[in-house]
Amino acid sequence: MGESSRLLPSIHAGPGLIASVLRLLAFIDELPAGATGVLRFGEEGIILLDSRKICWAVARTMRIRLTDILRNQSTPPLAREAVEDIYRKCKVNGRPMGESLVASGLVSELGLRAALFKHNGEAIAQLARANATPDHFTAHARTSYDPKYSFSPCEVLATLGSLDDPARATAAQLELGTTLVQECSGAAFARSDSVSGALVIAVDRSCDVPVQDLVELCNWVSGLFDVARTFDPSACAARATWGGRMALVTWRVKEVGYVSVCSSRAAAARLVSQLGQRAAGGSLMPPRPRDVSA
Amino acid sequence: MSFQPSQRTPSGEIAINALEIAYAVARIRTGALVEEPVANELGALLEGLAATLPDLFGTVDPSCLERLSDRSGGSEGAGTFAEILVISPKHTHVIQRLAQRPGFALLAVSPASGSIGLVLTAVRNQSERLVVGS
Repeated sequence: MGESSRLLPSIHAGPGLIASVLRLLAFIDELPAGATGVLRFGEEGIILLDSRKICWAVARTMRIRLTDILRNQSTPPLAREAVEDIYRKCKVNGRPMGESLVASGLVSELGLRAALFKHNGEAIAQLARANATPDHFTAHARTSYDPKYSFSPCEVLATLGSLDDPARATAAQLELGTTLVQECSGAAFARSDSVSGALVIAVDRSCDVPVQDLVELCNWVSGLFDVARTFDPSACAARATWGGRMALVTWRVKEVGYVSVCSSRAAAARLVSQLGQRAAGGSLMPPRPRDVSA
Repeated sequence: MSFQPSQRTPSGEIAINALEIAYAVARIRTGALVEEPVANELGALLEGLAATLPDLFGTVDPSCLERLSDRSGGSEGAGTFAEILVISPKHTHVIQRLAQRPGFALLAVSPASGSIGLVLTAVRNQSERLVVGS
């Protein structure tokens, strides 16, 4: 747990904070699909967006710096002089700091992404805690940020949700990674005292479902398993279809629920087939009563 | 496994065929079955399934489904679920909204948990037969 929690925002995720983060991220979701530029929160901070994805966020009240996160995620920590040397070069040649660190070999791509994730998650949590509201969006033609270091609003929401139980969130991330098929994106959720409904604890990298809709789906799925228990207590997976090709596939493993939005019926069928085999083999377990009430 | 024609009651609402599937038609808004189900385990499961219809169809925000369709590049605007499948290690449960009978759904329960595709095919055939017979 120590290792994974080092990569997470240090802020405490209470019910009020999660509701505020949800409002803030919903604002980003509602921007036009290609929204690229700077979202300003008065004097409180900024969020830099590229096609509605979060590249960089800063809050006035933040105490942690990206360089400190990058230095401290290595054991032993990176030498301050080495990092500062690259920082000075970036000031001269205008290259993004993180990418220069990767090019230098000091930090891996995965390490940079994890550090940016922590930094941006922390900034957004601080903006939400300050009840900062966006007051201006300056559109840019493009940013110099590499898309692989940008994050969807639902990824940020899941980061905050993962604080409730980092080990559970890591296991959920693994389950999503090994179960989802092409044309399906998904999320994991749990019930928690931190929120009144479902708490999103993990999403897969391709998930770009608007945060409000994701929570709505998780709440519906949570209700589905509640009512399914009344006629079949061992119900552990489900699929719902709508429109001509959309499908939602859901399953449960102990106290964690999973929901996947599939953009084709064929993809949903592949996922259901896989889950059906797991259900028949007993590897998908419905929640026990004490898991549900937890 | 071969399919046989479903054994239909006079009104065609409830039947069990060779794949061991029990069918019923219910009102979505109230969860009430149109006819009493057969008095066995599958019939009891159908009654339980029917009772969940108001929750399953009444608690999803139609605009949420429409937004998800739009976002994935789809143009279909259906804001409600057409078919819900619930799987357990012992049973497959299917709820299919009857397009030709608004407000009603065909329910099916089968102990064939490892044959989801076959069950779905049988349910869709049954749904078509209901349309023809209505």
